Amino acid sequence: MTCSCPGFPDEPTESVCPVCLATIPAVRRAIGDAVHLVKTCPTHGTFSVPVWRGLASRVRWGAGARTFAQPPVCATPVSKGCPHDCGLCPDHRQQSCCVLLEVTSRCDLACPVCFASAGRHGRDASLAEIDRSLDTLLEATGGRVHVQLSGGEPTVRDDLPEIVRRVHARGFEFVQLNTNGIRLARDPAYVEALAAAGLDCVFLQFDGVTDAVHRALRGARLAALKEHAVASCGNAGIGVVLVPTVVPGVNDGEIGAIVDFAVAHLPEVRAVHFQPIAYFGRCPEPSADARITLPEIVERLVAYGAGTIRFDDFRPGSVENPYCSFSGRFRVDASGRLRAERDAPAACCGVSVEPVAKAAKSACCGSSTPSPDVARARRYVAGQWRAAPSPSVDTPAAGLDAFDAILAARSHTLSLSGMAFQDAWTLDLDRVRQCHIHVVAPDTRLVPFCAFNLTAIDGRSLYRDQAAAPAPAPAEA
Amino acid sequence: MSAPALGDLVCVACDRPLEVGRVVGSYLGQRFEVDLPRCPGCGFVYVSEELASGKMLKVEQALEDK
Repeated sequence: MTCSCPGFPDEPTESVCPVCLATIPAVRRAIGDAVHLVKTCPTHGTFSVPVWRGLASRVRWGAGARTFAQPPVCATPVSKGCPHDCGLCPDHRQQSCCVLLEVTSRCDLACPVCFASAGRHGRDASLAEIDRSLDTLLEATGGRVHVQLSGGEPTVRDDLPEIVRRVHARGFEFVQLNTNGIRLARDPAYVEALAAAGLDCVFLQFDGVTDAVHRALRGARLAALKEHAVASCGNAGIGVVLVPTVVPGVNDGEIGAIVDFAVAHLPEVRAVHFQPIAYFGRCPEPSADARITLPEIVERLVAYGAGTIRFDDFRPGSVENPYCSFSGRFRVDASGRLRAERDAPAACCGVSVEPVAKAAKSACCGSSTPSPDVARARRYVAGQWRAAPSPSVDTPAAGLDAFDAILAARSHTLSLSGMAFQDAWTLDLDRVRQCHIHVVAPDTRLVPFCAFNLTAIDGRSLYRDQAAAPAPAPAEA
Repeated sequence: MSAPALGDLVCVACDRPLEVGRVVGSYLGQRFEVDLPRCPGCGFVYVSEELASGKMLKVEQALEDK
């Protein structure tokens, strides 16, 4: 039975049926102290799933200003409606911030948890296909995006440094690598080659500090390898972001230990980016107990901090939908205790969010301007996730001690953040439309991450099945 | 192109050579006191392109919030 809370009236939105993926009406409804996404498919019945546990924080998270900006280029028209027209379409409400480029579908692990359903047998995108994707991405975004090389496991490719070079050669300023870290741990020369090619950041799968967790989620003992991977990146001057996929009952008890690991490995570790598990691929309907929501992770961090970390030290992202993420930045003192960098305003650069929101209403594709808010989000990520500047780069200069002190402190600054991906049960199309994390599909369309990975209960994919097919050859000129 | 030497900098409004002096700046609520070339007459402060796009930019990025 469902009922709405008087202080939290139902909020209408849209979602998809987890069985047939048809777009259907949905509501966000308070049930107890949680917000559920509730929807009914005329054919397959009613689904109700928790998306946020904690009404008080839910209200706070939604109170801030929201920014919208139309993509500069819309490659697909509105036809069947969201999320079936991704390309991006003119109904999309945010510009790309980070774009994933899948360079292979091969992987050297066979994880029980994998949003990409990768395996040992797959194919690598050819360099010509990668060039074509990058050229189209450059045209669509003006190069104003971060590029994340993903897969599969990108490091199965020996030519990954060449791919990094090709991304940078087109003017994309920030390149990150999504990896399990196995090759980085075993092949320091490979890491050096990636650094020489200009790799800025390693987005390291890091589910916990014990082999029990790695075996449960990845089917292998990886704890020692993760340690070596972090050391290799540190030696090569590449920033590391630890990325735990958080699964209730499996590794939510290691959230504090993961932060401890990050603190112990400053300055090479720049951030921890938690991702509550989302259910992609063929799987039965997950129970409510199989889900953990963003505020629950924040609560774990507050408990870990033992008085030094407050819930209010975290904020929603300013360009994505607020219910997609949280982030906070902390100074780490000599004893390893975290203190929030407090009192920084949410908006900066003297740019009001209001003109952007207005522009989004009136602009159509091709006429929108680059979003200053997305630019700021990119700068924040690049500034925090890159390796901290070494003393040789920022030599103290006479009279500029105040600047030097801030830069020196950066090496002892840790970002704690989280992002909630959506699956067929939790998908909220308001969130999808405001998504700023996109995947460049083999046919060069840009697809919001959660739509690209969306699968029905039988494993059928909305976009990834098309991506698995060989990419069409470019037309002859 | 490298930044001009201090002795080459002149305030156009006051026609006086700039002198290095203590300058108070702020960004996102943070105050800094740094030494920069400034006009002893009107207080005009000169920030070289090298500083603006180098160390100062890094400081701004370090202070910005997502």
